[in-house]
Order: sequence, then structure tokens, then C-alpha cells
Amino acid sequence: MTDESTLVPALTGALAAGVATPETAEIVFDIRNLSVLYGTFLAVRDVTLPVHRNEITALIGPSGCGKTTVLRCLNRMNDLVPTARVEGEILYHGVDLYGKDVDPVEVRRRIGMVFQKPNPFPKSIYDNIAFGPKIAGFKGDMDAVVEGSLRRAALWDEVKDKLKGSATALSGGQQQRLCIARAIAVQPDVILMDEPCSSLDPIATARIEGLMRELVADYTIVIVTHNMQQAARVSTRTGFFTVDVSEDGHRTGTLVEYDKTEVVFTRPSDPRTEDYVTGRFG
Amino acid sequence: MEAPMTLQGELDALEADILRMGEIAEHSVGRSVEALLERDVALAQAVIAEDDVIDDLYLSVDRRLLQTLALQTPVAGDLRLISAIIHINAHLERIGDMAVNISKTLLSVRDLPSSPKILSQLQEMGDVVRPMIRTSMEAFSRRDLDLCLKLPKMDDPVDRLNMGMYKEVAALASDPLLLDWGMRMNMIARNLERVGDNAVDIAEQVGFLLTGEFREFTDASHEVAPRG
Repeated sequence: MTDESTLVPALTGALAAGVATPETAEIVFDIRNLSVLYGTFLAVRDVTLPVHRNEITALIGPSGCGKTTVLRCLNRMNDLVPTARVEGEILYHGVDLYGKDVDPVEVRRRIGMVFQKPNPFPKSIYDNIAFGPKIAGFKGDMDAVVEGSLRRAALWDEVKDKLKGSATALSGGQQQRLCIARAIAVQPDVILMDEPCSSLDPIATARIEGLMRELVADYTIVIVTHNMQQAARVSTRTGFFTVDVSEDGHRTGTLVEYDKTEVVFTRPSDPRTEDYVTGRFG
Repeated sequence: MEAPMTLQGELDALEADILRMGEIAEHSVGRSVEALLERDVALAQAVIAEDDVIDDLYLSVDRRLLQTLALQTPVAGDLRLISAIIHINAHLERIGDMAVNISKTLLSVRDLPSSPKILSQLQEMGDVVRPMIRTSMEAFSRRDLDLCLKLPKMDDPVDRLNMGMYKEVAALASDPLLLDWGMRMNMIARNLERVGDNAVDIAEQVGFLLTGEFREFTDASHEVAPRG
């Protein structure tokens, strides 16, 4: 959809090279020794984690463990926080995501995000989907893009007769699928999801989970969730984060264990993971 | 209405019942062999009656396991414990059935002549399989992997005696009544051999509980590599 010439050259060139390299082809994000600071406050320390292509990677852990902070680093959302500073490296298809030539807007086109609370624009269903492609300069068949995105998000049949109706009139579950359709419309490579089902009922949650299973054939998905059963149900790999509290009371998130989901939920290697997934806290 | 139990409460109660089943099953096997050796019909009937206790425990444990899976969605070590108990429950129920088989066989041969040599071999098998059940259940309650690994070795004489039994029975061919008795003793040897195998299987489940990896200690169809 987006003409390659509109991309930032540094990202495009390196991306093309990176994708073509067999050893990086399966790794979409190579997070190496990532630490995130807000001012002098160390929020997350030393996270090393690969994210594999066409897989759902789940990040779990208690509140304040830094899982959302790490997720937001993956499409440079933390750039919008003036005091935030990122140390270490995030390689995206082998390219330093925080390299000086990399355009964060282009990063966010390739790496979309779906938030905890559905946040459709106060516009029509159609315009919600068309918005991204339009500002990316898309000049093709917008109707086809809207229909295709809504179909991919399993929403088309429910909204095809009211595309000009307000997006905010949809149910919570429909709004969240609309947000997924909106993310898909700009043809991203990765979809980040920050607790996408936490405000939805079990039926809407099941639909989103089903949708994630379908989408992962074409996209790479990283999901932050408080619902451990959701992580167990949908993800291929799981990273468990926890909070270390220093002597002076500072709380810093760390990655405890990262493994195939089946391993994390049947034979975790770290007792802190075992305690968390089995519900034995404190 | 009672408040639902915590997951830990359920797991503790299930484990306590499984350990109790293990004690009863071991006791039943011992008494069934004793009844055979002593031609004690009343004792054999007591073993048959006692199996109802094992069966009731089996059904209760099975129902609560399903309930715990459905309501508590256990994971990690809790899930492995549930899985191990599912299997151990079935193995102990089978062991109870073997004791019943042995006791019922006695009831059918009580008027036939017998061979002291064969009885002594069956006694020897009984003397090994009882401690095998105890050892595997102790390995479970103590979470002791080294103890689990002792089971295959303990099982060797049981297999050997069972394999040799048909020759002992064939040697009785000249006396039709003795041969009739011997054929049934061959079935008892087979039952005792199965008790030993079930004890090894229980130890394998304990190994899975402790390591997270299932591994057969013995396999009739393939050589099993020694543990590295």
C-alpha cells in the first residue's frame, strides 16, 4: 500500500538487508540489555528477549513489573514521554530501532498498537479505518482497504451496513476489533497489544483471541496481559517479569524467565515464575 | 453450603487420599498372597470386599481431580501433581483389582492339590511387589527421585520369576489336577508381575512430577537408555 520510496531510507535499506539475512529472518525484535529510565528512576533493568516472527509473544507479570514499558519501547511510544530514556538495544529485523536515522512515525506504521481500552476516533467506522492509510499518502482503492481490514478483524459482517455510522456507537468488543482493523489498515509488520481484552466480557475476549490466532499467520503479535490463562491460551512464548525492590524502596522491573509458553506453564525454571503462575504470591 | 476449598487444600486432600489408597492396595496384595499360601478362604473374601474401599477412593479422587482442573485451572508444579495423581490413582485401582484376581483364583482352586515349589516362588514374588508399591508411594510422598529410580531394579526378580513360571507349571503335566492348579498359578504370577509393573509406572509418574519430563524406566518393546 505505502510506496517504499516514502519510507525513511536508512530504515528501508537496512530492513531490506536485514530481512534477507537468514539468521535474522525469524527474529523480528532482538531486545538486548534493555533498560528504561524515567528521569533518574530505573523502571526496567537489563531485559534481553527475542521476539519471533509470526508468533504471539506474551509478557506477563504483576503491576509495575515493566512489561508495558517494554512493549511501548517496541514502537517508540516512550519517545512521547519527555523524561524517558532507553539504554541497551532493540534491533528490529537487525536494525537499531533507536538509531538516529530511524523515523519514529514510520516505526509506528510498521509496528501498530492496540490499547487496553478501545479508543476509536469519534468518527465514522469507515473513517477510522481510512485515517491511517490517508495520512500515509495512500491513493488507491480506499473502499477495498476498509473492507479488507474489517474482514481481517472479523468485523465486516457486523458493520458493513453502517460504515458511515459512528464508531463510538459500537459495543466494547466491536470497538476493540475496529481498533485492530485500524492497526491492520496501514499494513503493519507487528501488532502490539496492551491488555486488549481487560475491558471486555468473555465472549468478546474469545473473539479477540480467535482473531489473534488468525492474524498471527500474517503478523507478529506481542501482547501484555494480566490474564495468565489468556497468555497460556494464545501465546507461543511467554516472558515473565517481576519487580525487584531495592533497600531504599526503588521498584525496578526485571525479566525473570522467557521460554515457550508450554514450558512456563508446566515446568518453569525459576521459582518466582512458579509462584506467580500458580498464584502463590508473597 | 461449604465454601470452596483452596487449590492447596484440594491438592493436600487428594494427595492424602492417594497415599491412603497406596497403603490399602499394598495391604490387599500382601493379604491376597497370604490367603493363597494359607488357603485361607475368609482372608481371600476379605480382600475382595476391601477392594470396594479402593474403588470408592478411586472414584472420589477422579471426580475431585476433574473438578479441580475445571475450577482451579492449575499450572506448573500444581498441574504436574494433578497429572501424576490422575495416573497413580488408576495404577492403584488396577493393583487393587490384581489382589482381587489372586483372591478369586484361590477360591476356585481350594480343592485342588498344590506344588510347594510354585507356592514358594509366588511368595517370593509377593515379598518383592509389596515393597515395590511401598517404595513408589514413599518416593511420591517424599518427592524423592533417587527412590523412584530404584524401582526397575526391584522389578527384575519379579519378571524373572514370572517368566520361569510356565516351565514350573509344565513340569506338572503328568498330574491333570495339579496341572489345572498350576495353570491358575501361572495367572497369579502374571497378576503379581503386573502389580510390579504398576509400581514402576507410579515411580515414573513421580519422576515426571519432580522433573517435568516423562520418561519410561522400562519398556517391553525397546531398550531404555540408562539415565544420564
